[in-house]
Amino acid sequence: MKTRKLTTLALLAALALAIYYVESLLPPVVPIPGIKLGLANIITLLVLLLYNSRDAALVLLVRILLSALLFGQAMSLLYSLCGGLLCFIAMALACRLLQRHFPELISILGGIFHNIGQILVALALTAVPGVLAYLPYLLISGIITGLFTGLCARFAVRYLRRLPLP
Amino acid sequence: MHKISKKACLLAGGILLLLAVCVLVLFLRQHTARQPNTPYTAYLYQDGQLLQTIPLSQITEPQRFTVEATNGGYNTIEVSGDGIAIAEADCPDQICVLQGTIRDSLLPITCLPHRLVIELKPDDPSASGAAPDAVAY
Repeated sequence: MKTRKLTTLALLAALALAIYYVESLLPPVVPIPGIKLGLANIITLLVLLLYNSRDAALVLLVRILLSALLFGQAMSLLYSLCGGLLCFIAMALACRLLQRHFPELISILGGIFHNIGQILVALALTAVPGVLAYLPYLLISGIITGLFTGLCARFAVRYLRRLPLP
Repeated sequence: MHKISKKACLLAGGILLLLAVCVLVLFLRQHTARQPNTPYTAYLYQDGQLLQTIPLSQITEPQRFTVEATNGGYNTIEVSGDGIAIAEADCPDQICVLQGTIRDSLLPITCLPHRLVIELKPDDPSASGAAPDAVAY
């Protein structure tokens, strides 16, 4: 990997980490576990749109591991890792299918799969089938927040493509 | 480009369908979960194990008790004749406390950091004998 590209990806990972931290400071809007904006996903989506899925996976892994190391607990690492990886696989496939068009749709799919992943971890940890009652709420919130982060990525990409990115 | 828009339309349609199904499920559950005159029983689960069952009809005045989490930390639970809540907890997100009192089986209270789930289920008059005490696990 060229130094310039490495630096750019590291910068984006640091940006994702900062966004993730600031978002964790916001009080929960809805008292349902698992509902959040997922703003850090904007960065994953940007790397996916500007580079490729391998680079996006790197940035995502760096962000999740560092955030768990810096301000998380072991529990939240498990949730982010499972949700984040499912979300990433869905977004990478959608990105290939749509040939990097329609970031909103890619992001909505990511949101849906992120929340499915979280429910699966919650189901595995608590072993109470009753937690499935959260699924419709989580899916609806995943679609709405996915649309929002997707729009953010669309507007950001428009300007970033003008830069001489490595 | 034309082919991609077709795929995108299909995808968007699928997402809209999912959204509609979710809203429908929520709507139906809202209507079936609220049974005003049914007695409920609270089921407390910790780490996937049934910890305690509390028939709400047997609670005459509100009481509090504390559940210690296996990984450290606690949840103080407040139970009364018509509902159950987590009044206090030392988990980082406080979502379980914010959920407030539940009075029906619509949603359980979950404290994910402490792996604690509280569910309300309506007492089934036909199964009121042995079933609640001998929950098969």
